[in-house]
Amino acid sequence: MPILLYRIDDRLIHGQVVIGWGRPLGIEFIVLVDSEVSASEWEQELYRMAVPQAVEVVFADVEQARTSLTDWQADPRRGMLLTGTVDSMAAIRGNGGPTIPKINLGGVHHRPGRRQRLPYVYLTDEEYRALIALKEDGIEITAQDVPTTRAVALSELA
Amino acid sequence: MPLAYGRASHGKPIGGGVVSGRGKAFARLFAVQAAWNYERMLGIGMGYAAEPLLAGLEATDSERHAEAAGRSAEFFNCHPYLAGLALGASVAAEYAGESEDRIRRLKTALCGTLGALGDHLFWAGLLPAMMGLALIVAVVWSPWWGVGLFLVGYNGCRVAVAWWGLRTGLDTGMRVGQAIASSWVPRVRRWVGLAAGFLVGVAIPLAGRFLLGGLGRSQILIGVGVAVLGLALAYRFRATFGGVRYGLLAVALVLLWFGVLP
Repeated sequence: MPILLYRIDDRLIHGQVVIGWGRPLGIEFIVLVDSEVSASEWEQELYRMAVPQAVEVVFADVEQARTSLTDWQADPRRGMLLTGTVDSMAAIRGNGGPTIPKINLGGVHHRPGRRQRLPYVYLTDEEYRALIALKEDGIEITAQDVPTTRAVALSELA
Repeated sequence: MPLAYGRASHGKPIGGGVVSGRGKAFARLFAVQAAWNYERMLGIGMGYAAEPLLAGLEATDSERHAEAAGRSAEFFNCHPYLAGLALGASVAAEYAGESEDRIRRLKTALCGTLGALGDHLFWAGLLPAMMGLALIVAVVWSPWWGVGLFLVGYNGCRVAVAWWGLRTGLDTGMRVGQAIASSWVPRVRRWVGLAAGFLVGVAIPLAGRFLLGGLGRSQILIGVGVAVLGLALAYRFRATFGGVRYGLLAVALVLLWFGVLP
């Protein structure tokens, strides 16, 4: 079973991820890609608490994600990969990196320099251009916070 | 400028300035969603609730106080009933002189964790459980007792959890994760969903019996039809069937029953 959801969400693991997507997709493991969290035990402890015991959480930095993604994609369990930023997701794909079929923009919130594209998606022009580059690389990109809302195409976020 | 308060992350108690604002902060936590917006979500409400707690910092370090007040109103989102844990922990971290980066990372981690825990505990647990229990009491004893039990029981739990959260956050600061892990939260989380399923499962046939006012042949058929429809809807919309929507569906069915059926 491949990884079913590749999501960019700056809140990382939270209710929309665990209940909104995790339950209907039957997610059995979550890969959280964040260099600082992967090196911080107290943060890992907090994120693990958000997830039911039956769901495994794997913490990785971008380099580990690049080298291990094909293994996770071959895992017989249903998985989800989360990054907190557009840059991290783009870095996993990188030049000649592992294949990512589809990216879900789930929550990129306000920071100075970012412009509102959707109520739950704020992007700088650089982040938007990075997403366009990923799309041109053959990756389908949509914004959708929970499964019951409409998937918004990247072209609508210009 | 060196800070003189000690570090909460190393187990030192928080200064008395924090304690003096607990009551006001607790009251303000009930308005934490009042200024909800997509840009900061709970941020403004958290800043408002943090203000009385941070007042003690102003006297000792006005520069730090100004920075802390600004940070407290930045983007934040979690389950509103558990916001006190994040509020208390981040304020305690400010008093402890934690770095700006560590406080922001603490809040980011709590964002997701408290959101997911709150959804499990309340929306998918306590709310449907109390609705089921109230329905059983309403049918077996008295409708008013059922309504009263729901209002007192649910809101009593909500208030108690808010107070526990604020106190625990203030007392533990950066160690709030360990405090949550060793508290009642993981234990209750394991059984509250099961309890909700059990209570709703008992309540529905009892309520059906009550509404039917007896079990004639046609009424049994109607009851079975409604149950099958309910199951089909619950399965079809399982991704979004939270406690509130489940309750609204029950209300709609009751209205349909009395308004349309002879």
